Amino acid sequence: MTPGSVRLPLTVIGGYLGAGKTTLLNHLLANPDGQRIAVLVNDFGEIDIDGRLLDSATDHVLRLANGCICCSVADNFAETLETVRGFAECIDRVVVEVSGVGQPHKVSQWGHSPGFSPDGVVVLVDPLSILNRAVDPYVGDTVVAQVAQADLVVISRTDLASVDELEATEAWLDGVTGATVLRAPLPTAVLLGPAFRPLDLDHFPPARKVNHGSVAGGPQHADHVTISRRLDGPISRPSIETWAQSRPGGVVRAKGLVRVNDRPNDRTVLQICGSSTMVSVDGPWDDGEDAVVAIALPGTPRAALVKWLNLLR
Amino acid sequence: MSHPPVEDQPPPTTVFPARAIHTLDLTVPSGSAIAVKDGRFLALGKTDELVDVYGGTVDHSLADKVLLPGFVEAHSHKDTGGIWQFTYVGFEARRGPNGRLWRGCTTFDAVVDRLREADRLLDDPGEPLLAWGLDPIFWPGERFDRRQLDAVSTTRRIFVAHSNMHLATVNSALMEQEGIDPDTVAEGVPKDDSGWPTGELQEFPAMALAGQTFRSFFGRTQSDESVLMFGQAARNVGVTTVADLGTSNLLDEAVVQQWIDIADETFPMRAAMFHGALMSAPDGDEACAAAMVDLKRRSTDRVRFGNVKLLMDGSIQGGTARLRWPGYLHGGPNGIWLIAPEQAAERIGPYHRAGLLVHTHANGDQAVDALLDAFDQVQTANPLPDHRHTIQHCQMTTPGQYRRMKALGMCANVFSNHTWFWGDQHRAITVGPDRAARMNAARTALDIGVPLSMHSDSPVTPLGPLHVAWAAINRQTPKGEIMGEHERVTVAEAMHAVTMGAAWQLRMDDVIGSITPQKFADCAVLEADPFEVDPAELRDIPVWGTMSGGVLHQGSPQTDA
Repeated sequence: MTPGSVRLPLTVIGGYLGAGKTTLLNHLLANPDGQRIAVLVNDFGEIDIDGRLLDSATDHVLRLANGCICCSVADNFAETLETVRGFAECIDRVVVEVSGVGQPHKVSQWGHSPGFSPDGVVVLVDPLSILNRAVDPYVGDTVVAQVAQADLVVISRTDLASVDELEATEAWLDGVTGATVLRAPLPTAVLLGPAFRPLDLDHFPPARKVNHGSVAGGPQHADHVTISRRLDGPISRPSIETWAQSRPGGVVRAKGLVRVNDRPNDRTVLQICGSSTMVSVDGPWDDGEDAVVAIALPGTPRAALVKWLNLLR
Repeated sequence: MSHPPVEDQPPPTTVFPARAIHTLDLTVPSGSAIAVKDGRFLALGKTDELVDVYGGTVDHSLADKVLLPGFVEAHSHKDTGGIWQFTYVGFEARRGPNGRLWRGCTTFDAVVDRLREADRLLDDPGEPLLAWGLDPIFWPGERFDRRQLDAVSTTRRIFVAHSNMHLATVNSALMEQEGIDPDTVAEGVPKDDSGWPTGELQEFPAMALAGQTFRSFFGRTQSDESVLMFGQAARNVGVTTVADLGTSNLLDEAVVQQWIDIADETFPMRAAMFHGALMSAPDGDEACAAAMVDLKRRSTDRVRFGNVKLLMDGSIQGGTARLRWPGYLHGGPNGIWLIAPEQAAERIGPYHRAGLLVHTHANGDQAVDALLDAFDQVQTANPLPDHRHTIQHCQMTTPGQYRRMKALGMCANVFSNHTWFWGDQHRAITVGPDRAARMNAARTALDIGVPLSMHSDSPVTPLGPLHVAWAAINRQTPKGEIMGEHERVTVAEAMHAVTMGAAWQLRMDDVIGSITPQKFADCAVLEADPFEVDPAELRDIPVWGTMSGGVLHQGSPQTDA
């Protein structure tokens, strides 16, 4: 694989003020789960860095001892991405924090920039305030648009909200978005997608349970199920369509780098984040292995997942 | 030959007789000559009298000119100059800082011809051709795409920014080089029937797919040349002071030093620099405010620091301004917030408490509501008697909102040029004729007693206070409609707005804005008298140039290329 040929997955984290974005980002930086994450924020002040963990700092970039970096979004986003691209060899993925009134879906379009690939729009929702925000004359429409265009909505502060509040939030979300709705805490791999570079696959034994740290406080979550499969070579395009339409309930993330027999020299990317499925070509095939990884909610039957991944042929 | 140094020799006094002088200073509203010394106005009066009292020499070069205080553009951007490094392909004729008239490109063929000419002038085949000003709104139903640009060159990369700067059209050579092809699935990259991108790139994430060419376009306006051209553009239209509203990142020492170095006594323009704190406060607003307080001390006679720009919403014509009920006439969704209403006070507070001047962009009436709520909180917590915080654009601000602004001590800088540049669109598409008639309510602001200026937002509309004043006085649209006759202002009011009114909002009224002894000797030098011509022809008054700090700067010779 030639250096720089892999596009960095770029996940966008949105949600209105108080939804828990800062808490989440700090948690990801402290518990990156083996992934070297570049976090892009508007304001360094919100990042909670223990001085001992700081490796180096410039005006726009903090490097942490655990391999993560934190960049401030300077004057323009294109320049910031250019800076991040300079770190491509030493990071695995990018997380972009969107301002509380920003539209995460729009920001996620930057994921198509050279060197990156969009990897999901995750929107956090505070169950204690969302129903009031949604009818606020100033920001109600903004809040609704944020969740409406999300791929994955994560309800935060589940340790503080009552069951009634959580259920009311879920009922409201059901009416305004087609996104997959999950309750925090969630493992890093669900929030950001599985750690996946073709060369890493050797370190990713098939069909194992993940044991990740939890996110955003609360009781320890039950284990999510991760399953991966190596493919024997190029697969057919109809099988991708069948696969996409037959997704078992419980699958929240998937990523595949495969060859398709009508384009055997190109790298086709299969991607699932919450409710969205994306199939795209992001460059020439690079002699890696055709493979796919999926993550499902705790309790999802492994047999169903195996059967589903076997549809790719 | 050398002279022995002479100590204590007073700087020379120069007396400039003029055809007419309007001082915009009510104490002495007019005169027939000014005496200038040490870069400042020394006195106003008659030539003989001034020479008798102050001595010095008489300079007759302005004897047939009309002098006003130098115009003050209180809302413009640095790329006013730099954008002219690129080829102009807009629909309306415009004149560049070097005086060249760029005829409007009213047909596809005209755009292609203009670009072919520019292509021929580029020697290096690897250099991209950059152009701006394209406005397909004038060709409804037709599509301008990569095919037209491929007729210009199949080898050179071509990037044509549209007039709103939110879209661009590129050619096949650029698409090939940057890998923009049928596999490109990004939003904002429309495709034709064959599955190929059309070449139109919509919004910044899509435009950025143009890679290095995109960065060249948006980066080159940061050059020294760009600042120098801004000065030329100002001089050509009688402007001696501009506000650069958030275009420059003043936390970047190189940018600060660039302005200090370029704006020496030979530069024809003063600048009030506003730091764009919306996006550039990486260590938070408190730290940013502290940095701006430090920077304020480095202000010179020509470059003022200590000002901050924030933004609440987007634009009305772009559908991104925040409107009150009943929203947009076209039924589109309400616009976007750039600062959450509930966070506005928290963001403004640090700058306010530090004694910095805060100018905030708010186009829609709902954005103004939220901003007034925030300033109410900020002022209540830390009352400052003379803050001069200003709402920029105020396009839909209502009489009730102006009364609140008055009560909070705020200033208004209205976007008067809109009645000409988008007036017909506002009547027909964005807000309808009734609300359009109430837009940019300069008359209401004055009647209520809100300190007023009016602006071009150049390069969004061309720099030129005479045009801005003309628009506020006449409120005429291109289709000939009068958009709100009751919001018209008088010539005197408009002239005040683009001189003293603007100077006040920049906290510079003690040094600029009127022809008053002790102030900087900054004048707009005109070929006709704004108080004498038909107000309908105010915008047609030829501008000779300016005097800046007592130095004459003749405008670029006008050429018709």
